[in-house]
Amino acid sequence: MTTSSVASTKLTSLERCAAEHVADGDTVFLGGFGHAVPFALGHQLIRAGRRGLTICRSGADILADQLIAAGCVDKVVFGWIGNPDIGLSHSFRRAVADGSIEWEEWTNWSMVLRLQAAAMGVPFLPGRVLLAGDIPGRLPDLKTVTCPYTGETLAAVPALQPDVAIVHAQRADEEGNTQLWGVVGDTAVGALAARRIVVTVEELVAGEVIRSSPNLTVIPGHRVTAVAVVPWGAHPSYVEGYYTRHDDHFRYYGDVSRTAQGTQAHLDRWVRGVDRERYLSMIDTEALATGVRR
Amino acid sequence: MIDDTARMTIAAARRLGDGEACFVGIGLPSLAALVALHTHAPGMSLIYESGAYGADPAVLPMSTGSPSVATGAACLGDCTLVFGELQAGRIDVGVLSAAQVDRRGNLNSTVIGEYRTPKVRMVGSGGAHDIAALVGRLVIVMPHDPRRFVQRVDFVTAPGLGEDGSRPPGTRGAGPVDLLTPRAWFTFEAGEMTLAGVQPGMDTATAVEGFSWKVPHADQVVELAPPTGEELAALQRWHAMEGTT
Repeated sequence: MTTSSVASTKLTSLERCAAEHVADGDTVFLGGFGHAVPFALGHQLIRAGRRGLTICRSGADILADQLIAAGCVDKVVFGWIGNPDIGLSHSFRRAVADGSIEWEEWTNWSMVLRLQAAAMGVPFLPGRVLLAGDIPGRLPDLKTVTCPYTGETLAAVPALQPDVAIVHAQRADEEGNTQLWGVVGDTAVGALAARRIVVTVEELVAGEVIRSSPNLTVIPGHRVTAVAVVPWGAHPSYVEGYYTRHDDHFRYYGDVSRTAQGTQAHLDRWVRGVDRERYLSMIDTEALATGVRR
Repeated sequence: MIDDTARMTIAAARRLGDGEACFVGIGLPSLAALVALHTHAPGMSLIYESGAYGADPAVLPMSTGSPSVATGAACLGDCTLVFGELQAGRIDVGVLSAAQVDRRGNLNSTVIGEYRTPKVRMVGSGGAHDIAALVGRLVIVMPHDPRRFVQRVDFVTAPGLGEDGSRPPGTRGAGPVDLLTPRAWFTFEAGEMTLAGVQPGMDTATAVEGFSWKVPHADQVVELAPPTGEELAALQRWHAMEGTT
């Protein structure tokens, strides 16, 4: 733990991350490509009663499903949505069926291109996808571009700039310099695409620790709005070097989320009215950390 | 034990070459690629969309971002690294499965029924569209379920061949080349799904039993060689394993 004497204005609590840095109506990038999914902060958005969110990411897993089930989401922008290897996102499926959600679907690569464009400050990036099949026909605003050098037709994949990115990572310092290793997927580019970045980490470390291996820093602190220390903040996904993936939890959610009642009961049990202490008492942290912790 | 999973994944594994770069999805495609990697193709580079290049998962991963995908990989980049290589035309082969496949090798993982009012709303593309549009050639692995073999998929998530049997404009690579099921091996050289082989002991009628259209036969329909002990042993390592991360 750091003992810096400089008072940080970025270091805050999980509760304040959700209350002060994510607003109703925001477009929110959810970090975590299977790894380091920001479940704790996502769950805090549910407890905070956020409404009208547009959530976006390439491959959206059960955190997206839970935010939809909790009524936080008006629109989802995605490349994939489901419960990996288990099945469908049942809450999304029900919301489509009852007309209570808007959606816009891309592909994983085109979502990465959209975020990359925003991160780089260009209005679009050319892509060699979305030129065939039925996906482009469901994206009425999608345009193509003729390459001025070769004359080829490419998709003009538009930039997507989220209002805020929520990200979980291994560690950060008080300045918000955030280090994420293992599977990064599109988490870093999605964060850098966003106007604001809110980070939860397993550990707060001294600036010297960060600066001793700066290649691990994927988000410079200058870009980070707020950082909170939330151990186990990615459960039931995993954090490389800290704890493994709780596969059975994904399987269990696959079962209970088949009905709206089952999903709401799950949210009551695991999210609403459950603080972090209680949450952690409900999982076998020792088993999940065995053989993983550095 | 030679079950349906063994038949289709081992037959698919044989379509993958040693030394190739192979981009795979989760489930049956991963299983097929892992059998290849641990039998005849030890020099294959296994690629997952999460950024792993040269992956060698010790268990069958549940997610492209699972710990096993990262652990032991030769290179762990990000999505841009692997999709960039794909878009640049440097990935030899992809392996995919889907809810539906049609006679042109188009894959559907988006909706059954109408798009806005679907009977079943599914997961969508993920990387499937990107792989199908960009990879050098595509190997498809599907259970033998006649409802999943249709003349025209409800939604083309991952583009195969167009109605004229050629690759649609804007796509790269050969598109679908092989389709393996527990009963059959289909090819697409003729511009549509064509019966090229049957699994051991299977006749050509059983190979396409229940399909809603008359699937053309290749000039010679071969009988595939049965799985070897080595292939079955490789498969056994992952098959039926409770996907533990």
